[in-house]
Amino acid sequence: MIVCVAVVGHQNNPLYLQSFTEADDALKLHHIVHCSLDVIDERVNNPKKTGPTLNETFLGLLYPTENYKVYGYLTNTKVKFIMVTTDLDVRDVDVRNFFRRFHSAYVDAVSNPFHVPGKKITSNTFAQSVRAIVKSFGSSTAV
Amino acid sequence: MGREVAESCVDSVVIEMVSAYCSRLYSTHPEIAARRIEAIGFQVGHQLSERYTMERPRFSDHLEAIKFICKDFWSELFKKQVDNLKTNHRGTFVLQDNRFRWLTRVSYDPTPANSDVSPASDPSQVVDKAAQATSMHLYFPCGIIRGALTNLGIPCAVSADISNLPACSFVVRIKV
Amino acid sequence: MAPVAPRTGDAVFANVERVNAELFTLTYGAIVRQLLTDLEEVEEVNKQLDQMGYNIGIRLIDEFLAKSNVTRCVDFKETAEVIAKVGFKMFLGVTASVTNWDADGTSCSLVLEDNPLVDFVELPDTCQGLYYCNILSGVIRGALEMVSMKTEVTWIRDMLRGDDAYELRVKLLKQVPEEYPYKDDE
Repeated sequence: MIVCVAVVGHQNNPLYLQSFTEADDALKLHHIVHCSLDVIDERVNNPKKTGPTLNETFLGLLYPTENYKVYGYLTNTKVKFIMVTTDLDVRDVDVRNFFRRFHSAYVDAVSNPFHVPGKKITSNTFAQSVRAIVKSFGSSTAV
Repeated sequence: MGREVAESCVDSVVIEMVSAYCSRLYSTHPEIAARRIEAIGFQVGHQLSERYTMERPRFSDHLEAIKFICKDFWSELFKKQVDNLKTNHRGTFVLQDNRFRWLTRVSYDPTPANSDVSPASDPSQVVDKAAQATSMHLYFPCGIIRGALTNLGIPCAVSADISNLPACSFVVRIKV
Repeated sequence: MAPVAPRTGDAVFANVERVNAELFTLTYGAIVRQLLTDLEEVEEVNKQLDQMGYNIGIRLIDEFLAKSNVTRCVDFKETAEVIAKVGFKMFLGVTASVTNWDADGTSCSLVLEDNPLVDFVELPDTCQGLYYCNILSGVIRGALEMVSMKTEVTWIRDMLRGDDAYELRVKLLKQVPEEYPYKDDE
């Protein structure tokens, strides 16, 4: 289950943060998101991999914690997407699919003429799409 | 996805926007009109670069991003690529389009609604007016390019050179 | 030679130069946003959009007549149908339906369920009173004026304001008899 998603601007300014858990661990999730930003910076500035995966938007597993797995994604416009899940057995293809759909929802949200770049995303449509994308995460496994 | 409109919709709206800003809203302040037109382009470029770079790897340097503008981005907008790209290797890039679509499709007939130009003005003034209208029109694509590059992490200044019509060169100066 | 039959909206749209709707949608959106910043008053923005539309309409009518092979509409009823089925389709790629005729056939509604101008748009609360698509009413008014019909075009429903469709009320004010075109400088 995805417990948290976040969008963070290129100056590490939070643009969107939503948790999907009943448990009162918002602070913990915020902390995880915060820490993952450093991991992303580290990874992007010192790419270990070479070849086709270089500069890929999908950054893969950023780090595992005891209870969570944290995945990252960095767009060409230097916007970071972070996803935290409690699933321990996650298929790469599902995470990629999640980010692809999330990215598309994000792009539509910032295409609103009244959205101000760098400001928080307040769109209801975006919130709804994100909820739907989060809900269907991993459901392709069953097919 | 894949939704389309007639090209004349884009042409009409852009021409009318330029005319609204130059002849109605800021007719006595062309420099403000220019800035507003550029700002509109900037927003469009900013948003388009977000859309058009989806599902592609991040650019590793400025040149790669500029090449993206010359090829994919230009093709989406104008159905052709930029014809020639030059650089001085010190942060200035010149993107030349030998037949810039928005200049070939746009003609500035004074329409009844905004023909505040006196009909008896001498020919050189008419030419001046036409050149001024063209340059006003170009603030829009300049803004688009600057918006797109800025969003890709490349702050820059963009100007247009039309000394070789219908060719048009966009000069991108990257800020360091 | 027999007159050429008017073409269907689909046929005309298939034959015009088309572009990616995103460029159009985003450009229009950026214009509205910039006008709101510069004019401050929402009412002024509505007026400016209408004026822009009017200027576009008086020019687009020629392209429309040339490409659609529409010659003369018999009456206002036929005109409304042509706008809805051919005009909207040819430029925006969508069709409208014509409904709610009044008894004497001089006013009707054009209803759009979908419209490329509003893709991605969510109006902020500060834009109460803005008719985001007001350019469309201006286009219709301008185009009809060039075929001798004086109209008044107003918005009845707007999905951006929570309605279930876009509805434009088109009222024929007067039909000016055709005049011989003449040049005033000769």
